[in-house]
Amino acid sequence: MVDAPTPSEPPAQLVDPAPPERRVVFVVGSGRSGTSTMAGALQTLGMTVPAPEVAADDTNPKGFAESQWVVDFHDELLERTNVSMADARPSAWFDTGRLNNFEPLRTRLHTWLEEQLVAGGPELVVKDPRLAWFLGVWRSAAMRSEAEAGYVTMLRPVTEVVGSKQRVYDARTSEVHRTAAWVNMMLHVERSTRGSARAFVRYHDLLDDWTVPVFGLGQRFDLDAVKSASANDIRKVHQFVDPSLRRVALTWDDIEVPRRLRDIAQETWEALDKLPDDGGDTPEVQATLDQLRAAYAEMYDEAQALTRSTADAARREGAREQDAGASRASDKVPHSVRAMVPPSVRRGLRKVAGRERG
Amino acid sequence: MSPVRGADIACLEGDPAYDVHWPWKDGALSPGLTCVFRLKNEAHNLPWVLPPMLEAVQHVVIVDNLSDDGTAEVAQKVADECGAGDRITVTSYPHRVSRAGSEHLATRPDSVHSLTHFYNWSFSHVRTAYSMKWDGDMVLTREGVSILRDLSWQLEDSNAVVAVPRHPLSVESEQVAWLDLGFRFLEPWIYPMGPEFTFVKAFEWEVREFPESTTRIVAPEGLCVELKWLDRDEFAHWSDMDFDTSRAPRKRREWQVYSALRDGRGHEVPGLHRIESPPGVHVVDHVTRTWLPRAERPLVRRKGRLEV
Repeated sequence: MVDAPTPSEPPAQLVDPAPPERRVVFVVGSGRSGTSTMAGALQTLGMTVPAPEVAADDTNPKGFAESQWVVDFHDELLERTNVSMADARPSAWFDTGRLNNFEPLRTRLHTWLEEQLVAGGPELVVKDPRLAWFLGVWRSAAMRSEAEAGYVTMLRPVTEVVGSKQRVYDARTSEVHRTAAWVNMMLHVERSTRGSARAFVRYHDLLDDWTVPVFGLGQRFDLDAVKSASANDIRKVHQFVDPSLRRVALTWDDIEVPRRLRDIAQETWEALDKLPDDGGDTPEVQATLDQLRAAYAEMYDEAQALTRSTADAARREGAREQDAGASRASDKVPHSVRAMVPPSVRRGLRKVAGRERG
Repeated sequence: MSPVRGADIACLEGDPAYDVHWPWKDGALSPGLTCVFRLKNEAHNLPWVLPPMLEAVQHVVIVDNLSDDGTAEVAQKVADECGAGDRITVTSYPHRVSRAGSEHLATRPDSVHSLTHFYNWSFSHVRTAYSMKWDGDMVLTREGVSILRDLSWQLEDSNAVVAVPRHPLSVESEQVAWLDLGFRFLEPWIYPMGPEFTFVKAFEWEVREFPESTTRIVAPEGLCVELKWLDRDEFAHWSDMDFDTSRAPRKRREWQVYSALRDGRGHEVPGLHRIESPPGVHVVDHVTRTWLPRAERPLVRRKGRLEV
C-alpha cells in the first residue's frame, strides 16, 4: 500500500487580516408558523433583513421581516416552474430543484447576496414562505459569498396552521389541500436541510420564552448579533414578540380531512416535534420522515389518478379559452391588413396558435 | 459450463460469480443515490475524492480492478475515517478489462474482459433508485457536494439523467496546477436504475442507455475537477494514441494539454490556467475550496457538446 497524500485541513487558509465572519440565516417552514416572529427577533437583535421590506398588513401587523426583492425573485421562479407557493405535489420539488442547475440564476443570486453582505453587514436574515423551494440556489450563493449558511425551521402543529375559525362553504376542500401542502412542505424542508447547519424551533416555545430558542441559534450558528446583544436589544425583542400571537388553537376535531391524510399529517407532526429537543435530530427520526415522504407521495399519486378526469377537463377548458383568445386577437386585425401578411408567415402564426389547417 | 439460472447477463466465460443479476428484480430499490467507482490503482487520489462524495450521496460502491497499490484498503480506511464505513461497499473484479479504443472494439460485450460487462456487473451492486458512475480521479467542490445532495432526493421518481461538467486539473506540484477551462467536458453521470438504463457497447468504450423521452439536466460548471498528475502516464489505459478527433475530441484535448505541459508550453494553450496555492495549502484543496467558487462565470467560454 502506498502512503496516500494528505489533503489540507479545512477550511483553506484565508488572507490576513480576516474579514468579519459572514452568516446567512434562512428561516423556513410553512407560513403562519412563526417564521415572521423568528426573523423579526433576529432582525431586532441586529441581523439585517435586506431592504426594502414587504410592508406589514392586517395578517401580520408586526411586519413580515421579508425582503421585497426576495419575494419578487421567488415569485418569478415559481411562475417559471409552474409551481405554487403552497403546492402539494411531491414532484414540484423536482421542478423547482432543476433551476439550481441554471448558472445565470446562480450568478444572479450570488451577485445580489454579495451586494447585501457588503451593504447590510456580515449577518443577514432571509425569510419568505417560498424560500424552501429554492434552497439549493441560495446555498450556492452563500457558498460563493463565503458566508456560513444556517437553516431555522419553524414548527407549529398542523391543525393550527391549517385551521381557520371562519368556516366557509368550501372549507373542507381548502383544509384538505392546505393539510396536503403542509405535509409536502414540511417533509421536504426537513429533507433539503439535512446534513446542513440547522435548527428546529417550535412556535409555542418561541412565544412562551423566546430567549431560549434564540440564544440557542446564536450559539449554534455563531451569530454575533445574538451573542453580543445589548440589554436594549433584548428589551426590543420582548416588545416585538407578542405571546398573544397564537390566535388559533385547533385540533383535528375542528378540521375535516380524510383519515389517511390526517394520519400522515399527524405522524409527520409527531416526528418533526422531536427535532427541536437536544439530541432529537437523529437518523431514526429522519428515517421515519423518509417513510412518511414515501407514503405521502404514494397517496398523492393515487389521488392524482383518481381525479384525472377533473385535471383533463380543466386542461381542455384552458385550451379552449386560449384558443378563443387567439381567435379574438386575429379577428381584430382588418382583412386588408391580414392579406398583406405573406402566406408562409400566416402559416407560422397559425402553427404557433395551434390552429393549423389540415 | 452453463450459466447460472436466473442470471440477467451471463458472462461469456461462464463464471457465475461474474454474471449480472439486476437488483430491481429482487424488489423495490431504496430512495437515494449510489456512486459507483471502478478503480485501478487510485489510492493516491482517494483522500481527495472519497470524503466529499461520501458527504454527497447515500452510498458508495468501490469495484477494485486488479490494483496493486492498496486501493481497496485505502478506500475502506478513508470511509472509516469519515465515519461512513457502513455506507461503502468494497468489492473486487479480478479480470483484466480491455483498454478503451480498438482493444475494446474487439471484445465481446458479455465477456468479463469487456468494459460493458464490467460496468453492468459493477452497477448491479447498487441498491438505490439512482446511481452515478464516477472516476477515481474526480474531486467534488463544495458546490458539487451541495448539488449532489439536493439531487439525491429531488430526482426521486423523475427518471431524469444528469450531466455534470468536469474540469481537468493537471497537478505539477503540491503548490502548482493547471486548470483546463478551454474545453467543455460534459457527459451524463447520473441515471435512474432500471432496465432502460443499462450499459451497452459502443465503438471505443461503453455507453449507458436511456429512453429518448428522458428529461436531461445539465449541472452547472465548477462542481468537480479531474486530477491528472503530471508525473504519471495519464494515457496508459488507451490502446491507440492516434485519436479520431471527430469521435474523441476531449481525448484529443487532454493529449494536447498533457503534451504541452510535459514540454513546458502550458502558457501557450488557450484556456489553460496556471494556479498557485498559498503556502501550506495543497493546490487541489485551493482549487476546489477557494479558486473555483470565486472564479467568474461562465468558466468555460467555448461551446462543447454533450457526449453520450
